[in-house]
Amino acid sequence: MKLRAAAILAVLLALPGCSGGLFGGGDDTSEIVLGMPVPLSGDSAAIGPYMRNGAQLAIDELNAKGGVLGRKLKLAAEDDACDPQTATAAATKLVSQKVVASVGGYCSGATLPTLPVFDRAKIPVVIPAANSDQLFEKKLPYVFLINSTGTQQAGTAVEWATKQSLSRVVVVHDNTSYSKNIADLTSAALKERSAGSVVITKGEAEHGPAVTAVRAKNPDLVYFTGYYADGGLFIRQLRQAGYTGKIMVADGSVDKQLITIAGQDKAQGVYATMTGLPEFTPGAEQWISKYKEKFGSEPGPYSTQSYDAVRLVADALTRAASTDGDKLRKALEETKAFPMFSGPLSFTPQHTLAVSGFVILEVKGSRFELVK
Amino acid sequence: MSQLIWNGLFTGSFYALVALGYSMVYGIIRLLNFAHGDVYMLGAFIGYYCLTLLSGVTSGLPALLIVLVVAMLATGLAGVGIERLAYRPLRQAPRLAVLITAVGVSFSLEYGVRLIAGADPKVYPVRLDGQPVELLGARLTAEQLVLVAVAFVLMGALHTLVMRTRAGRAMRAIAADPKAAHLSGIEVGQVIARVFFLGSALAGAAGVMAGAYYGRIEFLMGFVIGLKAFTAAVIGGIGNLPGAMLGGLALGLLESFGTGLTGGEWRDVFAFGCLIVFLVARPQGILGEKAVVRM
Repeated sequence: MKLRAAAILAVLLALPGCSGGLFGGGDDTSEIVLGMPVPLSGDSAAIGPYMRNGAQLAIDELNAKGGVLGRKLKLAAEDDACDPQTATAAATKLVSQKVVASVGGYCSGATLPTLPVFDRAKIPVVIPAANSDQLFEKKLPYVFLINSTGTQQAGTAVEWATKQSLSRVVVVHDNTSYSKNIADLTSAALKERSAGSVVITKGEAEHGPAVTAVRAKNPDLVYFTGYYADGGLFIRQLRQAGYTGKIMVADGSVDKQLITIAGQDKAQGVYATMTGLPEFTPGAEQWISKYKEKFGSEPGPYSTQSYDAVRLVADALTRAASTDGDKLRKALEETKAFPMFSGPLSFTPQHTLAVSGFVILEVKGSRFELVK
Repeated sequence: MSQLIWNGLFTGSFYALVALGYSMVYGIIRLLNFAHGDVYMLGAFIGYYCLTLLSGVTSGLPALLIVLVVAMLATGLAGVGIERLAYRPLRQAPRLAVLITAVGVSFSLEYGVRLIAGADPKVYPVRLDGQPVELLGARLTAEQLVLVAVAFVLMGALHTLVMRTRAGRAMRAIAADPKAAHLSGIEVGQVIARVFFLGSALAGAAGVMAGAYYGRIEFLMGFVIGLKAFTAAVIGGIGNLPGAMLGGLALGLLESFGTGLTGGEWRDVFAFGCLIVFLVARPQGILGEKAVVRM
């Protein structure tokens, strides 16, 4: 029995490690592997490839320049299915592959349980997309967020609502970590202008009860903080039920699929809080064409952030002059004004962005456009 | 209030269609066919591909009706195939073995469709959503009414088939006593296959209707509705066909009022809470009879 367990363990260890080889641990010419748990299946499956491609682009560029510390970089993307259990399994697999850092994390609910796994192994995690406050509330020393946080996103939404002098705001969330976090923070920041919150079931098709509940509160703005697959249906059913007020969605719903699912006519004029997309970033045209040439498709949400996450880790590795987890963490903490798509990056003591990069988008035709 | 009733009846009629297949199969071979919800998903995907093929030729409601029939035939045959491959070889096996096989079939369908169609949600090419009209204080669309009407027609047809025809009598005979039915010359295997065909076709119809109405389909869409249909079948009295219809509508209404009172996050708690209450307090369901111990 023990023998068999040992044999299975050996096989498991040998399988993913092929690149560096079983004996590659101490070899300084082996590849530096960066792990990346992202959703490649499940209801957020559209986002994973955007992030993986963004990261791969950075890795290819760095390798073309000779890699980092004289070693080539390699990306190990794992499917987390936006599901806590799958994500934890993916993280454990990456840890056993001896990744030097993780540059993944889209769904906060799925990313959250992976953090202790990486943290225990002293593997720094640079999260490009997931941004629930829960991710840094535990103050895990190896966890860094390069997307703006839930607080910053809620702040952007509230500021916009104030400017539009909207006074009855209903927030709708799906009870996942990311979604509930933004919803709660938004309600709290709105104070008496909040008309309450409504919960939908993630993955459900019928949102009739939630729509009825929203309509009963008679809002002038509905802020949906879930993901695009549910958001599309929810917006569709809300409009069908005769709601004519404003609708806004959070960054988890910013994807072309939201517009397709809702139907283009029903999605018109839907606003969104979002961190910078490449198409709105000045000087990113060249980057976009490089991406298109390589992957045959347009970059999407969080392509740039994933690209930046890899570059940030590479920069920190160079400054640390080592792949040691502690030294890398220290180098990440000391990052000063690192140039990213969303602006120069420095970390707060909580390992979050010192300056938020949220903007307001609006659906026009079949795409999201920047609101000036 | 009337909005809550309408919401409940609308979702309830979907539950009822799926619950019927659950209940029929259970009634005849005492199997909880956990793959049934995935046949619903299969129906939605078959409908999706048929509509995509048809999109150049015809569109709108007529296309949808053709596709509904095609998808029902296809899922019906899939149901017969599943029974033939997975359940028939286990006819003499302990019930637990068949139950686990059903779970296996469920996963095979889910991840088989995922392999072929991908994990991304798909958007239906034909969508049913007209302008809503106000009726007795509830907002509803003509398309919703059509869907509910189709569901009731299908349920009525099934009821007539089971209660008024020879084939239906054979099904009821097997449900009552498979051995005696066999001894009196009924082709048990054939009748069971027929039951699978009917149940799966109804689930497939519900799948196409859900796809056309909600517009978004994905490979895991059958999981929760499978559980809900099971709950509906238990509430109505599993094995009992009018019970399954009643149970589906009752569950839809319970959910609608439950969420109306307590908020959306409680919907599934409410649905499955009802399942537990019924299992404890009235395991035979609303219309079921007290179970007779079978030899």
